[in-house]
Order: sequence, then C-alpha cells, then structure tokens
Amino acid sequence: MTILLERPSEQLAPAPVAPRPPRRVPTDVLVVGGLLLVVLLIQGWNITGYPAVSDDEGTYLAQAWAVQHGSLAHYTYWYDHPPGGWIQLAALSWLPAVVAPETLAVASARLVMLLVTAISVVLLYVLARRLAFARWSAALAVLVFGLSPLSVTLQRQIYLDSFAVAWALGAFVLALSPRKHLWHHVAAGACAAVAILSKETILIVLPAIVVAVWQGTDRTTRKFSLAGFLCGLALVGAVYPLYAVLKGELLPGDDHVSLLGAMLFQVHDRAGSGSIFTTGSGANALLDSWLFYDAVLLVGGAIAVTLALAVKRLRAPALAGFLLTLVAMRPGGYLPAMYVIQALPFFALSLAGLVEVAGRYLLADRRGTWVYGREGRRIVAIACAVAAIGFVVPRWYDGDRTALTTAANHHYASAAAWIDANIADPRKTRIVVDDALWLDVVEAGFEPRHGAVWFYKLDLDSAVRAEFPNGWRDMDYIVSSPIVRQNRTTLPTVDTLLDRSTVVKAFGTGEDRIEVRKVNEEGQ
Amino acid sequence: MHAWRTPETLESTRFPAPDGEHELSFSLLVPARHEEGVLEHTVNRLLESTHSEYEIIIIVGHDDPGTSRVAIRLANQSPERVIVITDKHEVKNKPKALNTALPHCRGDVVGVFDAEDQVHPELLAHVDHAFRATGADVVQGGVQLINFHSSWYSLRNCLEYFFWFRSRLHLHAEKGFIPLGGNTVFVRTEVLRDADGWDGECLAEDCDLGVRLSSKGSKVIVAYDSAMVTKEETPDTLGGLLKQRTRWNQGFLQVLRKGDWKQLPTFWQRMLARYTLVGPFLQAFSGLTIPIGIFIALFLDVPIGVALITFIPVLPTQATLAFEVVGLHDFGAQYGLRIKPIHYVKLVVGAPLYMLVLSVAALRAVWREWTGRSNWELTRHVGAHLPNVPEETAA
Repeated sequence: MTILLERPSEQLAPAPVAPRPPRRVPTDVLVVGGLLLVVLLIQGWNITGYPAVSDDEGTYLAQAWAVQHGSLAHYTYWYDHPPGGWIQLAALSWLPAVVAPETLAVASARLVMLLVTAISVVLLYVLARRLAFARWSAALAVLVFGLSPLSVTLQRQIYLDSFAVAWALGAFVLALSPRKHLWHHVAAGACAAVAILSKETILIVLPAIVVAVWQGTDRTTRKFSLAGFLCGLALVGAVYPLYAVLKGELLPGDDHVSLLGAMLFQVHDRAGSGSIFTTGSGANALLDSWLFYDAVLLVGGAIAVTLALAVKRLRAPALAGFLLTLVAMRPGGYLPAMYVIQALPFFALSLAGLVEVAGRYLLADRRGTWVYGREGRRIVAIACAVAAIGFVVPRWYDGDRTALTTAANHHYASAAAWIDANIADPRKTRIVVDDALWLDVVEAGFEPRHGAVWFYKLDLDSAVRAEFPNGWRDMDYIVSSPIVRQNRTTLPTVDTLLDRSTVVKAFGTGEDRIEVRKVNEEGQ
Repeated sequence: MHAWRTPETLESTRFPAPDGEHELSFSLLVPARHEEGVLEHTVNRLLESTHSEYEIIIIVGHDDPGTSRVAIRLANQSPERVIVITDKHEVKNKPKALNTALPHCRGDVVGVFDAEDQVHPELLAHVDHAFRATGADVVQGGVQLINFHSSWYSLRNCLEYFFWFRSRLHLHAEKGFIPLGGNTVFVRTEVLRDADGWDGECLAEDCDLGVRLSSKGSKVIVAYDSAMVTKEETPDTLGGLLKQRTRWNQGFLQVLRKGDWKQLPTFWQRMLARYTLVGPFLQAFSGLTIPIGIFIALFLDVPIGVALITFIPVLPTQATLAFEVVGLHDFGAQYGLRIKPIHYVKLVVGAPLYMLVLSVAALRAVWREWTGRSNWELTRHVGAHLPNVPEETAA
C-alpha cells in the first residue's frame, strides 16, 4: 500500500441506499453505566458520615485551598509530596461547595472523590476489555474494585492515592490502545507522569506500565513508541524538579527546604513502621486495620497478582500489584496508611482475570479427559461460584452497611458549627486546630496562619514559631481532637496548651470526644 | 514521527511489490557539473537497471570539458541507452540544465538523478508499478545520505535525511502539499511539460516543482524502501554543508514569495505550506531562543511561572533528541550499519552545534535574499558514500 492523495473515484460512488438501523447504544456503555450507578450509590451514600475525617484529608484539602489562593501549601511547602494531587483537588473543589455548602468542609469535599472513583471505574472497565476480558469478568473486576468495604472506606476519603490510581489506569489504557498509535503511547507516558506527580509512591508500578507499552506495541514501531512513552513521562515529570531548581530548592541547605532533602527524609530518615509480619509494629497494625475492612480483596488480591504473572495478558496489571505488594512487605521503611489504595485496581483485575481463566478452563467445549466430563466440570464451576458468593457477600454486606449507616463525623461538624456561632470576633482570635477543622475555622473568619493555626506547625515550623514569640501564651483557643491528643507527647507547645486550658464546650465522651478549650494566660 | 505512528502507517510507506510488467518508459536526467570523479560509477550503476525501457540523458556544461569527456565516453560505450546534452547557458544551475534536456526526453516518465547517486537496479521496476498501481503523476523515491561515520555533522545530516524521506515526506504526500526532493523523483513527462519544467531562477527548484504540482492537484506518492533508496554523500566540509543549507533555505524563501502555494484548496494545506517553507527559520529562531530562555530562567530574577514558561522551547528539542537516538538505531538496523556508542554520543553532543550551523545558514539565507544575491553555490562531491571508488576516477 502507498499513501494516496485521493481515493480512487469508484470508492466514492454512492452506496445503494438502505434504511439505516436505529443507532444502538453499545453494550459496553450500558454495562459501564449500570456498574457506575451501583458503585457510586454505595460509595456516595453517607460519604460525609463515614469514615471519620482524618488529619491527612484536612491537610490535602487545606493545600488545595492554598492553591486556589496562589501558593502550593497553607504553610511552607516542603516537598512532602508532589503537589499534583491537591492541584487537581483545587480544580474540582467547587463541586462540593455547590452540592453541600453547609456541612463540614472536609466531609463535603469528599464528593470530589466520587468523581475520581467514577473515572477510575470507567478506566478499569476499559482496561479490562483491552486485556481481552469478557464483559462479565470486566464487570466482576469493577464490582470487586468498587464494592469491597476496603475500597468503599478508603476511596471515599480525600487521598492523593486515588488521583494517582486514576491516572495510572489511564496510562495502562493508553498503553494498550488497539490502534497502537504513537501519540497514545506518548499520552500514556504523560499520564504516568501525572500519576507520579499526584502521589509519588505510584512510581512503583512504572515497570508494569512499561510492560504494558511493550505488549501494546508492534515489533516494527516498538522502539519509537517506547521513546515516545519515555518522552511523555520525562517531559511532564520534569516540571517538578525543574520547579525546585528554579526556586533554588533542589539540593538541601541550611536555611531552606529542598526536594532532595524531603525525598531523603521519606525514604531514609522517616521512622520506619516496621515489618507487616511483626506483631505490634506500626505496619502490622495498619495491615490489621486493612484486614478489618476486607480480607477477601487484600489477601485474595495479593495471591492473585502472584499467580496472574503466569498469564501473559494479565501480566502487566499483575506485575503492578505484585510490585506494590513486594514493597509493602519489605522489612523496614515507612508504610503510609492509604498505601493499599494503589493496589486495589490491580488486585481486582488479577482476581477477576484468574476467575475468567479458571471459568474458561472449566467450561471449555473440549473432549474431557477428566473423570466427570463436561457436565461435571460445569457443576464444579457453578459450585465454586456459589461458594465464593456465599463467602464474600455476607462479609461485604456487613462492611458496606457500616459505611452506609455510621455517623462518625457529627462531633467534628458540631464543633465547627459551635465555633462559628459562639466565638466572637474571630478575626482577632487565635485558635489551634487539627487540619480536619482548619478549613472550617478559616471559613468561620479566623485568619489563615495567624488566627487559624494548624497544631503541628506550632512546634515544627520555624517560621510559625517566629510569628508567635510568646509561644503558647499567644493562643486563645485550642480544639482538642483525637488527632491532637495522639500527638501531644512529641509537641511541647501543644502539650502545654492542653494543660493550660479549660473546656468551654465538649462534644461526645471518651476517646472520640472533641473539646473546644480556652487558654488561661495564668495557668490553671 | 509520521511514519511510525502505527504499524499500518509504517507498512503503507513502502513500495508495493512490483508485478514484473514493464509498461512505462523512462528518461533519466543526470545533470553533471565538475563531477568527472563520480559520474562514471553512477551511470554504470544506472545501466545495471532491471527495467527494459529507459534512456539516460547526461547534461554537461559547455565550459566543463573534463565531465564532458567522461560523459561522451559513456555514451560511446552504450549508444542505445546514453545521450549527452550540452547546456550552453551563460550562468549555469541545475534547473536550467534540466530544462535544456526536457525537450529531448522520449520516455513516458522523466526521472532525475544527481551525478553522485547510487541507484538500486530494481528501482525503476518498482516505480513503474507504483505509477500504474496508483495512477500517480509524481513518484518520489527515497534518498539517503549514508556516510554517517565521516564527521559529527554528517551523522546528523544523514539522520535528517532519514527522518525526512522515511517519515516527513509521507505526511506531506498525505496532506496534499509536498516539496519534492532533488533526485529520485519521477514525473510523468506530459505533466512536467504542462508545468513548463523547472524554474530556472529558483534555488530550490525541486521544492518549487513539488509546490507547483501539488497546488495544481497533481497526485504525488512517496515510497520508501531501505533496499531501494538512492544513496548519496554529505557535503565534505562544514562550509559546504553551510552553503548547501543556505541555498535550500533561500530557495524555500523564494518559493514562499512566489506564492504558488496560495492556490492550495484547503486552509490546512496552506498552513502546512507556510509552516514548511518557513520551517528552517522557525528552527533558527528556536535555536536562538533556547539559550536565551535558560539564561533568563537561571540568572535573572523572574517569577517562578515565567521561569517555567521559558523552558517550554526546550521540551520539543529534548523530545526530538530522544527520537533521533531511536532513529539512529533504526537507521543502523535498516541499512545494516554498525552504530557504535560513540555515534550516539556524537549525535547528542552535536545537537546544539548542528542547531547553530542551521541557524547560521538560515540567517545567511535571509541576508542573501534580502541583498538580492541568488547565485548558485554548488556542493562538491568526493564519493565518500561509494564503497570503493577507484583511485583514478576519484582523482
């Protein structure tokens, strides 16, 4: 074939006119639409009420708020994470303000995560189809990914990992584009870079994306596609270190934060959370909390990614899940609480893929050398399916019911409302809060940084310490929440504030209580 | 990167396999000016062609006895195939030489080769089939500089040709606007005569012909096959490269000013024409802005957003470099050449220097066109691309 400037005229001759059949919606679109409805309903119902808001969610949202006000963080940006995730959050955070303006800021901002989950669900389905999954097994992967109580709990929360997952899935989908188009591979590289800039730990799955590009390219054009992928990756990814270079913050120095310094802290200096296999370690406790939500996807997925490495078409996603598992199992190092989010789509894909492989093996139309023949194999398949459903559904039903009905945030919401209504003259008042409340007190009128103070920074940020020369005496209120109390031992100023203040209003009792405390200048 | 977009695109850039029929006749024009060193080799190789119907017309200048002697000897050796025409124009250049020969062409198709070209014996059979299979008016075959090992700039020069003929020209053919190459180009004789042949005053007569023919809606196809390309050599000095590039750039400017491209039917074709014809100057411009941009970003106190923007021109340059590295690998694989690590190093290190040469050539072209100097600066050939040029002919 050569390139033609114009097609031969006979091809342009009008075809005999036939009545056009009415346009039908493709089956895949209907399937995805149905799946989306189910997943979004379960993830969205009571999204503000459960789980309890975490300090990290508040931090990311506060940083997104800072992006909207022209800087990368509400305190000095110290390269703790690349800012891609909360820049996207900032771009989307008008959404909750429109839908639910009155609720707790962090809780209502979770609506953004529904959009992210929706995108991930669609991409996961497309990816499964591009990996030659049948519709039923692609749908199975989506349901496992979206309905496991572990997913429902973690994907509801404002975590950067969910943004990274969406972009990584996009990279896989583009890498396996059926047209094998060079630009799709360049775009896959760019998506992978955005994923890494959203949450740096997704870097672990990069080799798996390269495998996908390799599998998704033709021998004749492969090297150009790989170069295109790397270009997309490097050119988008380079923005971050370039930003640091231009600010003079690439290399560590005495009087400034630095990208390299922060990276060294994350991988080297940060206190490790121990091995997940050592009872009593932080990582082990974290594993237990994940297992509490759902052992099926976590244990089943970890086994599935290992087995699925043997299946060629499942190899790329399986490798992604396998690498994530391997890194989580390393003995030292720090395991972030939301780490598992990144593994969920790959666990789900591998599980569903293996179920399909097993199903095809059992139901294949071939002469059985097996004792019971074809009918017997069919019965085994049905029995396995019934057993699996019988095992999984009751567990997930319980977990998801908790997620749909528990109100875990009403103390926070009440505290925010009380502060808004009862503290007079917030512009001239200083209040120390955790990040879950920070945005609410800012919205109540406290001045960011000077009036609304994030409790960590009082002790850890030299710029903030310099701003309050009298230390704890410069503060008027402190809101004592579980997060604040858990950290008081390492934060002397916060510790003093809790000692030298009295409760003016308390919400709840016991461990989860939230107290608004007034600071007493002279001590108790 | 057009040709490598999808496996299907890559497949479509090749010659279709010939059917063995020889239905068209060819007149092959070989203008030769001070080329006594390489002419004989070139013509002998053309005579090895597997096609049955062709004539070779060597065009020599009346003031160039050395080349004329070689040409006449060749004509005496193969009187049924080789004709010598003498160009008597006072000021000589390639388009005038070609126009001198055009009335003497007896073939259905006119083909142009340079005196230093190494032409594959089966090329004519492929071109014959390509004309008949597609009904094309013009067939452009591949040309490839091959002596990548000669110097740092010849490496980049070879690669430029590789990308241009392997990929870029196909895009142009698809979009219906194509600046043709200077040789291995075949045009139906009546189409060429209708267009009044070549523009004798244009420094890029090949580009001009392509632009005029595509503006009239002629059908142009490009076919590339590494086994079938015409092999050439790079200019033997950096000064030679600079002169050659200046001539092309000035020629592009002339074509732009002539404005035949304005007759192209669609807006996007006209945009492509504009972009292609000012391309060398955009390249020169970016060659100058990149160092300035980096300097501003690193040493002047500008807001971080502005500093990031100054790096934008670097992005396509870096991407191009990455693709060039891959292209060099592919070039080696296609032509069975051993590319050593040092060549990749030369490629990368030579990039800014080559950019500088191109920028100087672009500025020089603008200067010459501005001051009205449009004489023909000829490129000299020593035969570095020929496997073993006998000493006596090279001398």
